[in-house]
Amino acid sequence: MKRLTVVLSLLIGLSMLLGACAPATTPAPVATEAQTSAPATAPTTAPTAAAAVTEFPRNETLYTGGKQWGPPSNWNPFQTGSYATGTLGLVYETLFIYDPLTDKFMPWLAESGSWTDANTYVLKLRQGLTWSDGQPLTVDDVKFTFELGKTDTLNFSSLWDWLDSITKVDANTLQFNFKEALYQEWANNLYNVPIVPQHIWSTMSEKDVETGANEKPIGSGAFMYQSYDQTKMVWVRNDNWWAIKALGYSIAPKYIVDLVNTSNENSLGLVLQGNEDLNNNYLPGVSTLLQGGYAMHTYYPNPPYHLSVNTAWLDINLQEKPLSDVKFRQALAYAINVSDIVTRDYGNMVQAANPTGLLPVWDKYVDQNVVKQMGISYDPAKAKQLLAAAGYKAGSDGFVTNPDGSPIALKIIVPNGWSDWMAAIQIISKNAQDVGINLQPDYPDYNGYLDARLNGKFDLAIDNQVQVSNTPWSYYHFIFYDKLADIATTQGGNYGRYDNKAAFDLVTQLDKTPTDDLAAMQKITSQLQTIQLTDLPVIPLWYNGAWAQFSTTNWTNWPGAADNQNHYFPVTWNGYWNMTSILMLTQLKPAGE
Amino acid sequence: MQQLKKKNEMLYFAMRNTKLRIGVIIVLIFVILAIIGPYITHYKPRDYVAPGPQPPSSEFWFGTTSFGEDVFSQFVSGLRATFIVGILGGGMGTLIGVLVGFTAGYRGGWLDETLNMLTNIVLVVPSLVVLIIIAAYLEVRGFLFESVFIGCFAWPWVARAIRAQTFSLRTRDFVDLARLSGMKPLKIIITEIAPNMMSYLLLVFILQFGGAILTAATLDFIGLGPTNTVSLGLMMNNAVIYGALLLGMWWWFIPPGLAITIVVGALYITNVGLDEVFNPRLREM
Amino acid sequence: MKRYFSRKLLIYILTLILAVTVDWLIPRFMPGNPVQIMIARAGLKAESAKLVYSEYMKAFGLDVPIWQQYINFWIALFHGDFGVSLWLFPRPVLRIIMDAVPYDLLLLVPAILISWFAGNNFGAFAARSKWLDNTISPLGYVLTATPYMWLGILLAWALGIVVHIFPFSGAYSYGLMPSLSWKFIGSLLQHWVLPFMSLFLVMFGGWAIGMRNMIIYELEADYSHYLEALGAPKNLVRRYAFRNAVLPQITGLALQLGVIVAGQLVTEIVFSYPGLGYLILQAIQNHDFFLLQGCFLFIIIGVLIANFAIDVTYVLVDPRTRAGMTGEA
Repeated sequence: MKRLTVVLSLLIGLSMLLGACAPATTPAPVATEAQTSAPATAPTTAPTAAAAVTEFPRNETLYTGGKQWGPPSNWNPFQTGSYATGTLGLVYETLFIYDPLTDKFMPWLAESGSWTDANTYVLKLRQGLTWSDGQPLTVDDVKFTFELGKTDTLNFSSLWDWLDSITKVDANTLQFNFKEALYQEWANNLYNVPIVPQHIWSTMSEKDVETGANEKPIGSGAFMYQSYDQTKMVWVRNDNWWAIKALGYSIAPKYIVDLVNTSNENSLGLVLQGNEDLNNNYLPGVSTLLQGGYAMHTYYPNPPYHLSVNTAWLDINLQEKPLSDVKFRQALAYAINVSDIVTRDYGNMVQAANPTGLLPVWDKYVDQNVVKQMGISYDPAKAKQLLAAAGYKAGSDGFVTNPDGSPIALKIIVPNGWSDWMAAIQIISKNAQDVGINLQPDYPDYNGYLDARLNGKFDLAIDNQVQVSNTPWSYYHFIFYDKLADIATTQGGNYGRYDNKAAFDLVTQLDKTPTDDLAAMQKITSQLQTIQLTDLPVIPLWYNGAWAQFSTTNWTNWPGAADNQNHYFPVTWNGYWNMTSILMLTQLKPAGE
Repeated sequence: MQQLKKKNEMLYFAMRNTKLRIGVIIVLIFVILAIIGPYITHYKPRDYVAPGPQPPSSEFWFGTTSFGEDVFSQFVSGLRATFIVGILGGGMGTLIGVLVGFTAGYRGGWLDETLNMLTNIVLVVPSLVVLIIIAAYLEVRGFLFESVFIGCFAWPWVARAIRAQTFSLRTRDFVDLARLSGMKPLKIIITEIAPNMMSYLLLVFILQFGGAILTAATLDFIGLGPTNTVSLGLMMNNAVIYGALLLGMWWWFIPPGLAITIVVGALYITNVGLDEVFNPRLREM
Repeated sequence: MKRYFSRKLLIYILTLILAVTVDWLIPRFMPGNPVQIMIARAGLKAESAKLVYSEYMKAFGLDVPIWQQYINFWIALFHGDFGVSLWLFPRPVLRIIMDAVPYDLLLLVPAILISWFAGNNFGAFAARSKWLDNTISPLGYVLTATPYMWLGILLAWALGIVVHIFPFSGAYSYGLMPSLSWKFIGSLLQHWVLPFMSLFLVMFGGWAIGMRNMIIYELEADYSHYLEALGAPKNLVRRYAFRNAVLPQITGLALQLGVIVAGQLVTEIVFSYPGLGYLILQAIQNHDFFLLQGCFLFIIIGVLIANFAIDVTYVLVDPRTRAGMTGEA
């Protein structure tokens, strides 16, 4: 250690010396001031609209981060996955907003909407809507947007497989005529399809609509495009936003500056110093920092700290021995100690999953009787017993062999570098080894991981691709996806190639069930749970969180679980603005007020 | 007799040379640590040992990572990997360089022209960037791959130097004599030319050894090292990614970099020491 | 002289052709499909993903025979078209690279030049006496043996986090947009200091050691002894030795370029400095093969140009080549 100190101090000394004399041009610490200046001392002169703003007053700016993994390059709301943070939500808006915590749809651009008969949906548009360039937003824009999916290949184009036509009833009413009504999926589209202005998008080429960057987007939302550079996206408030008058909302931050993630390390530093107001990265160690006296908070002050938004489960390749044997899968499920993963690996930042894997917001779809009877939880003795009963006997090396005597050697994969998952599969492998299953962790590159899963060339893998939504249909559609031959191109799920047509028919039936018919939905989900827990095509493990750490240094009144807090999602990820995150913005207050 | 005396003389100077002594001792200490280290610790590098992160203690000598892994276990296994890559990669680089250099230098003519052209091309290409490109497309990467690839791009300057030396040796009397007596070219190279360059080859190998370690560390740091093991570069990578700097977990990122610096520095010093031993003119300094 | 340059040029052209071919070859013969990854990131519904998949295959020109892809690659290259990035879809790769290159030059050029001059002078100075040599040389060895990223990490930690003297991430304060204001330039310089220093220090060590060794060789050379025997002043002998030792150091610069560029890449990664190194890391992490290809080609071309510049300098500085002798390539 002494040598280390010597070398260190030498280095530091030398570099300070060089820093002091070599670059004579190094100026007084101007930028440090900019970085750390408290809002009180920041210049409060409002920038004039004419001059290009190159500085953002701290007390009028909300700094966010955690979604953008590269410089903004794309403002096309149909480019799910690559558009700049807030393109859908801040700029482009949807007909409805969905609140997963209360399972309620809130009319947004729409005033109301309802099914007038089994195959007809009537939508009433709010009046007095405008685009940020001053043009009115009318039903023609809505009709145009949906029809764009028919002519061009967009992320919602599959809608037209079952939608027949759209007719304009009057100046603010549209009628959607369906060939076959998929109620669950339609409800999902209502809060996910971004409405775009016809007067701009009708002049764009098909290529631009599908894959263009759509620079300087014009939308209807609370914010407008200001500028961007390598490190950030800047949005400026739209003071003519329709919801100010229509819904009485006001938004305090004049600017939203969304910073590009450079590293978790950097994000953590920014939040701790109060320089980033909201961060949505997974930051290990947050639980210890919450007690560290920083002005940093999470949705829950205690474990699990974050809202649960997707399920991590174990993909099992059912095409090969011994994983094709349900008895073996059951034994494996009994062997895994999920609470170890939760506490050791995640420091309680996640929760163990329900045996069905349904997220907490889908709790009402869980058939507790089925879970009680068939649910599997950690029980290594039971696992051993099951293995022995099914003919898996210990070989010379202590690991069980197939009933025919051939050895078993399984691998479980996660992408290299995803350390929380890497730690998780070590725990799982160890658990499996403890009951005699020869399971080893393996960490291929992300590309290799993806390839293995898409082509069904793996034994076991961790997966968490289904995000929270308005319907458990999306979860079951993924798990029971029946187009086995298409998996490599559609990435539709079911990577273990579970082949059960009856199950997928139930999923389709669920899709066709009206969203307000809870009993009918529960009936189907109960059947699906029975199938799932009988056959174990996947083993649900834990719920990942909507990682969100926010600082009260500059903005207060953040969401939280307490009664006196608002319960909106503090998440800037794609698809969450329209799941109440936009409402979170309306609640923020400058610190010190 | 003459030969033996010369050897003894060299050994004498070698023992007396401070640089050489210091360099060799340091490298040896680390080699021993790399060999016995994995037996001292009872954990595997990726094992969960305790709720992390913990600063160094009597139980965890180098502390633990955010994920509760024992840094010391990672360190010694990374050190081992470092030496393996150094020896394999450095050896490979030296071997290719020597082969190309001897062939080009001894044969001359068009073969020399071609090899020389090849050498110059590989010399110009920024090898690490090529390695990054190659590694980025491999889904599963092992030590052996890494070492071989490093060796494949590290040889040009060796080839150049050996070629020049062979050129000058080739025209010496004893080589001419061997050629006249009907010896095969390969045999001449092995029995007549190579022994006269042994000392030089040793120096070259040491430099290649150090270079391979640094290259491997860089690749590992970018996250393109072996996917199935822990290396010193990967430790630094993990430390940076998981906020060790901000969380003040210095025990995570200082040991790996320090070890590389010390080992490579010691190799360089050994190299200079050896140079002084082999090259009597330099001994005065 | 003409022969010397045409020979060099031939090597550079062959290198470029080889590099372009390798660059094109590797991603196509490795497993994995970039479009697959794009779809994976987009998180589309299965029915829509199927439609989008073929759309993207077309957009990236992956739906034509392989030989045609190779020819198209060259044609595009001559049009300055490096393709479209997957990571920053649909931005052209060339535009992304052009945005990054100024930052590379800002770091690399001063770091190389200052370290080369400072290192050489320092090394020559160290070779003066045994005492100086024994105190300064070990420092040089330690510096040149330090992995670039580790020095970067240490500096970031010590000067950026423990004592908040310098910012350690990015090229300028995130609260500013690039503009020609003093505030921006100040911020730029402040963010520049740490990455510059880590590059500078490691290189400095290398040059100092190299020079020190060269000078000692030269001082032991026959002509030095001869000069000394003639009674020439010690300073004069040293000056001659220095002049002779500088030449190999120029060649050394050309040889070291590859290593320096690699050091630059990792340094940028440590400091999230938005140059090519940072781009390469992002390209790797996001499996953006096209951006990776573009960066690779750009670096190769840059290194070739730099090599050529060094060749020219060498000819200008070396009295022998100046007199018309052809140097060995």
